Amino acid sequence: MSSFILRRLLAVIPTFFVVSLTVFLLIHLVPGDPIDSLMRAGSSPALREQMAAKYGLDRSLFEQYIIWMGKVLTLDFGTSIIQGRPVAALIAQNLPSSLTLGGTAFLFSSLAGIAAGVLAAKYYGTRIDSSITSGILLGSTIPSFWLALLLILVFAVWLGWVPVSGARGWSSLVLPVIATGLGGVALVARVTKVSMIEIGRQDFVTLLRAKGVSESRIRLQHILRHALVPVISILGLRIGWILGGAITVEVVFARPGLGSLLIRALNQRDYPLVQGCLLMLSMAVILGTIIGDIAQAAMDPRQREASK
Amino acid sequence: MLLSVEKLRIAFGSFAPVKDVTISVDRGEILGLVGESGSGKSLTATALMGLLGYVNGHVAGGRILFDGEDLTGLPEEHMRRLRGRRIGLITQNPMTSLDPMIRVGKQIEQAARIHMGLDGKAAYRKAVDLMRDVRIPDSQRVHTLYPHQLSGGMKQRIVIAMALAGEPDLLIADEPTTALDATVQAQIIRNLVELVKIRGLAMILITHDMGVVAQTCDHVAVMYSGRIVERASVGSMFAEAAHPYTQALIGCIPRNGMRPGTLVGIPGMVPSTAALPSGCSFHPRCSKAHTICHECVPEFRQFGRHVGVACHLAGQYE
Repeated sequence: MSSFILRRLLAVIPTFFVVSLTVFLLIHLVPGDPIDSLMRAGSSPALREQMAAKYGLDRSLFEQYIIWMGKVLTLDFGTSIIQGRPVAALIAQNLPSSLTLGGTAFLFSSLAGIAAGVLAAKYYGTRIDSSITSGILLGSTIPSFWLALLLILVFAVWLGWVPVSGARGWSSLVLPVIATGLGGVALVARVTKVSMIEIGRQDFVTLLRAKGVSESRIRLQHILRHALVPVISILGLRIGWILGGAITVEVVFARPGLGSLLIRALNQRDYPLVQGCLLMLSMAVILGTIIGDIAQAAMDPRQREASK
Repeated sequence: MLLSVEKLRIAFGSFAPVKDVTISVDRGEILGLVGESGSGKSLTATALMGLLGYVNGHVAGGRILFDGEDLTGLPEEHMRRLRGRRIGLITQNPMTSLDPMIRVGKQIEQAARIHMGLDGKAAYRKAVDLMRDVRIPDSQRVHTLYPHQLSGGMKQRIVIAMALAGEPDLLIADEPTTALDATVQAQIIRNLVELVKIRGLAMILITHDMGVVAQTCDHVAVMYSGRIVERASVGSMFAEAAHPYTQALIGCIPRNGMRPGTLVGIPGMVPSTAALPSGCSFHPRCSKAHTICHECVPEFRQFGRHVGVACHLAGQYE
């Protein structure tokens, strides 16, 4: 098992370089220039060149990448051009708020998704199943930022149960969590339902019934355990995704966080900050996938065997 | 009589693939239920286990008397307490009949925990003892293995141990050796017969292998497209089968001293249960069929507890 984990972690290294290259080049494809945001109207071209040299923007892309990469490896993501503070500090300042939202939304989508999936599978073909399935369809097609606006309108403006925006207290977390997590609930519920039904048809389930095991125990202790294997690999993908998935929701609710930070940096063409945020988000996706793989291997003895 | 099934009819909606099955078996006896695939053998087993509901079927007629109690109308919760406790099931494919994520020892313990109220050490001891009874070497080590670490034969032994864990009175073995190698088949069958005789169980052995029937069973019931066509003791069936289908089945067994190319099959195919031929459903494949066979369904004529035949011509053409 430990060698499996080690090998998965080693495989991150090439992925990391490919991702870093993409992140680095991506921002340079977008038209616009951070120096534009720093210049006052009527500044001389000489000053402009001076500024470009100061931030190393006058060098070739390849050179810029090597310099950036060398620093990133020592956890130095550079200094934000616009805000003038170290990128690492900005990320560290915004991360807790994103993690709280992302983590809670992740828990919400796992628990509510699995519960909905189990119920839909149990009542497969009945009205309960079809209402859960329509809910799933709705949940997976509604964009989260639009849902966020709708939730604000109903629960914050009309009913006044929760604050409209901001990040003060737990009550302000409720709507963002629902808006961020609903897509995940739908996804998890769908995968759980399908795999519960599929596994419920296998021979060993018949034999469990023949042993006299009660139906609820068969569902929750045997079928669900198998059904969770694909669910966990999907959740693994979402662990990372949920940091990035909250971007638009953070903006809609005016919450501090990586998403708000990234959007602001993008608008200002703040290269180091955009690169830092994107790298952070993509690493979260990669790490999430690995955590998912490991959890899956820990659950399934066959997988554990194959990965020795 | 431990189990007697009377005129059992199994239906899916209005479609009835099994009609008029009458069989019985007592403690210490092995009843062979024989027939080609699609004849309704496994469905009958499913009905006896009370598991038809899970495949969307139901008992549409007849009775299943088990120890004097009719199982057909029994509520699921009551039936669940019988399953594994008084009736054990051994299924066909050991590759898929164990939970791949649970250690095999635990899977045997499960039935003992549910039905015998055993826990911890007692359940463990029971599982290890059962594994020894089904001839699993090194049972303490095997107890901790997962199904994928065992061979097919070993897995089937685990399934048998599982079926025995609730100390049932009746075992239903649905083609228990079909998926196994020939060498392992013989061992498993011998072991099963031994267990049945020592423990005084009743067993219904579902198979299409007449060789296995000859070696193990006391009585035989032959099924063809959802009906019992003949019942007899094993000795008299091999000596003087009354139904042409039974005769044909016996004719399919390879014998010593046969010349190459002389082994015959039964011409034609088992008819689909959805489109049965008129009259006796075997008539299109029967070498002795008369006009009456095309027109009327032959009635099952009972000659004794274990003897009977459903053929218009039986007793007439000899």
